[in-house]
Amino acid sequence: MGKKVVVIGGGITGMEASVQLSALGYSVTVLEKESQLGGHLNDWTVLFPNLRKGNEIVSFLEHGLELQEVNVIYNSKISGIKKINKHYEIVLDNQKQIIADAILVATGFDLFDAHRKEEFGYGIYENVITSYDLEKIFAEKGEIKTPSGINPKRIGFIHCVGSRDEKVNNHYCSNVCCVTGVKQAMELKTLIPDAEIFNFYMDMRMFDTHFEELYLESQKKYGINFIRGRLSEANETIDKRIILKVEDTLTSRPLKMTVDLLVLLVGMEPSKGTKEIAKLLNLKMRESGFLKPEDDHTLSNVSNMPGVFFAGTCSGPMSIKYTFTDARAAVTKINCYLKEYELQHRILLN
Amino acid sequence: MKDEGKKQIWKDYQKDIADDHYYYVRSCIRQSFFPASEEFFLRLLKDDLGKDVFDDPNHTTCTGIGYHSDIVSFETIMTVVARHFSMMKESGYKNIIISCVTSFGIYTEIIETWKHFPEVLAKTRENLFKATGREFDIPENMAHASDIIYKFKDEIAQKAKYRLVNPITGKPLNIVEHIGCHYSKMFPKYGVGGAEFPEVLAGMIDAWGGKVIDYPERRHCCGFGFRQYLVQANRGYSIANSKKKFDSMEPYKPDLILANCPGCTMFMDKWQYTISEMEGKTYGENQQGIPVLTYEELAGLVMGYNPWDLGLQYHQIQSEPLLHKLGIEFSIEDKYKTRDGRQMPIPECPANINY
Amino acid sequence: MGKLYDLLLQDIRFEEGLNACMNCGVCTAICPAAEFYKYDPREIVDTIQTKDEEKTEALLKSETIWYCGQCMSCKTRCPRGNTPALVIMALRTLSQKLGYFTDSEKGRQQFAIKRTVGENILKYGYCVPTYAVDPKMHPEQGPIWEHIFNNIDDVMDRLGGNLKKKGSGALREIHQKNLDELDKIFEVTGGYKLYGEIENYSEKKAGEMGLEFKKEGIDNEYFRHVYTCNSDNHGK
Repeated sequence: MGKKVVVIGGGITGMEASVQLSALGYSVTVLEKESQLGGHLNDWTVLFPNLRKGNEIVSFLEHGLELQEVNVIYNSKISGIKKINKHYEIVLDNQKQIIADAILVATGFDLFDAHRKEEFGYGIYENVITSYDLEKIFAEKGEIKTPSGINPKRIGFIHCVGSRDEKVNNHYCSNVCCVTGVKQAMELKTLIPDAEIFNFYMDMRMFDTHFEELYLESQKKYGINFIRGRLSEANETIDKRIILKVEDTLTSRPLKMTVDLLVLLVGMEPSKGTKEIAKLLNLKMRESGFLKPEDDHTLSNVSNMPGVFFAGTCSGPMSIKYTFTDARAAVTKINCYLKEYELQHRILLN
Repeated sequence: MKDEGKKQIWKDYQKDIADDHYYYVRSCIRQSFFPASEEFFLRLLKDDLGKDVFDDPNHTTCTGIGYHSDIVSFETIMTVVARHFSMMKESGYKNIIISCVTSFGIYTEIIETWKHFPEVLAKTRENLFKATGREFDIPENMAHASDIIYKFKDEIAQKAKYRLVNPITGKPLNIVEHIGCHYSKMFPKYGVGGAEFPEVLAGMIDAWGGKVIDYPERRHCCGFGFRQYLVQANRGYSIANSKKKFDSMEPYKPDLILANCPGCTMFMDKWQYTISEMEGKTYGENQQGIPVLTYEELAGLVMGYNPWDLGLQYHQIQSEPLLHKLGIEFSIEDKYKTRDGRQMPIPECPANINY
Repeated sequence: MGKLYDLLLQDIRFEEGLNACMNCGVCTAICPAAEFYKYDPREIVDTIQTKDEEKTEALLKSETIWYCGQCMSCKTRCPRGNTPALVIMALRTLSQKLGYFTDSEKGRQQFAIKRTVGENILKYGYCVPTYAVDPKMHPEQGPIWEHIFNNIDDVMDRLGGNLKKKGSGALREIHQKNLDELDKIFEVTGGYKLYGEIENYSEKKAGEMGLEFKKEGIDNEYFRHVYTCNSDNHGK
């Protein structure tokens, strides 16, 4: 009987890590708060940078779970975690107790709640939606209409909503919104070829493989416009269009533009579940609330509690590609720990 | 526009407003341009609501207009405000009501500065003591006068003689509100409803039966701009900003502009005249202008006070069309009478506004 | 690191107002002054954070810093917690201390504000009492204001005021003992010093410009010049 690993959270990280851990011979239990696995990925139809379908990834992960014996407990809620000697006792709401030799926290992110940027009018002006809402509209596969029922001819995308913003107490960059804005703008342009689309950004952070090429393509092939300026406020016109106030900072001019549809590219925040688990396990967090590893370079995935590891977006915003990588990296660390490899005891000299 | 969204935001910005025992500081502009508003406010608190409020003759200007036009330093204004706190302490009060939005903004700025820089507070104590031998406490509760009306809006509604509804059509009046930049733009937590969708005036309008209208330039400054108005050469800035607001609200056909700040009330009233003279353009139905009222005036009207005791005849945009819409009875003979009933001269009518 | 930057740092509002700017433009986007003047608060903050002595001096002598209307809308928005309007106040204060304000048309106007609002404060205890808002200087106030101004006693009486009388009430007379305390506060906190600097540099400038200057009041060429002069070279 192999040692027991409990994975908290059944999103991309939790699914991939549990498959890999199981393949290494550990007995793995995934605790998932929802009634299905896949997390946020279930809500995303098409993925950057290559516009492949989101559900292909979900089925890839599910296939892994079928191949390996992974025990999944759905709709589970953790009420307490106790450390007993070298292992942990996890108590669920239904009083069920699970013993773990190691824990992988994979509790992911929550989308930034756009209501908090009050001046953008989300939840007040009908035609202000988020990037998440737009994915749902894409998923419906019908004709694209604004919430007030017209075919949008001019569309604005706002970058950095809930990111890089002291006013909402999120100083960090969410990594994926820039490229999401480019991706969604291209998709909309494909669906509404005569629409004018504007992306309002502060810095285009197209750091990953093929991101910059996608940005270039969106300009050259799709005619997407990019204006360097952060949205200051949005207001509704009498016919429910949205007036944007920005500065075109490259020409130093205040700019007012009326759009039919405004899409807020919402960033990532540490999920409620991440905060709850951090509290239960006394895990160190960064100022942002994301989990903090013991060392940023050499001990990523390693928490301050022996036997507790974490991976994926509970430690910071990252794209799907890096989530996979991070999940697999955490598996290596857990394996080292459970096998008590010497490697575990490498030290930093300073 | 989804009202639920606004109401959700309002929940996050409900400030504590003291229930009784207030120390009142007047506003330079409100008492000069809308003296009856301040008098009504005190009467409402004392006579209609039975509250204890002290109108201290010993306080002075806070020097705020001088401060924001940069001829009064921060150190000076902090000490003047500290003197007001000292007199409040001396009179045995802990709750302050501020009649002016500029002052209110300054008080919030000063208190926040003292919180973050205790050495500045210490220096202010030293300055005040050196200058006047006075000591002071920071108020326990700080409200703008409109916060108080907001707090008692339902009591006012119960006592109201009129509602903000046209009795003939049965429709609520369309009202735009203007909050004044310094009420909550600096520190949203000090304003009822925050900075973006403030509730302070909207709550009154709701409670008294009117309909709040949003318009694209609602948040924009009236254009006072301190030095931008005080110096004649700069007044183009001032009027251009007001005009921008009028143009933006015009399609919504507002029956009334309700304002929080005495300066904004005055400018939005007077600039309609100036624009009519400069461009021949008169806003409002039948080229009569859009009346601009203080919240005290509006509360007074719904409670059935005589509009001429509230001072509506001393606005450039006259309010008779509004009074008719509200079904308010008034005596036209009484309009320009002195307190003891003598007839005063009738002001000249502007060429481009229909009276 | 410039000396001027060090002087600015002594102003608590500068410390409050300037963290670090990332040039996003939210301030300029909603700035009323940016809409009507050649003005960009983002650029000012960006210039200041370079700490460049020459550029800072140029700003202190410029028209630019006088365009802000102090609405503070920029404070609500800035994602870095800067307040360009507070930075502006610190710049204006320093410009007056160093006498640079008389280099610009808009800066010279400080003299007019001092001679009107500045004097009102100490003389009456109010910034702008009704009787000091003369329709001749305020034609835009319209006929109603002229009527109020000409019938001030009856109007204030009807509206429940207490014009220039003892006791409480609207536009009451501020008792001498209170004006004396205000006077002392100005003395102790450098209020008079600032007034004196505005006066002295303005007198010097009036001399350079060959305009009549009087030690008191508003009936002199220099006052009329700074109060009304508009080169019309400020807009976009």
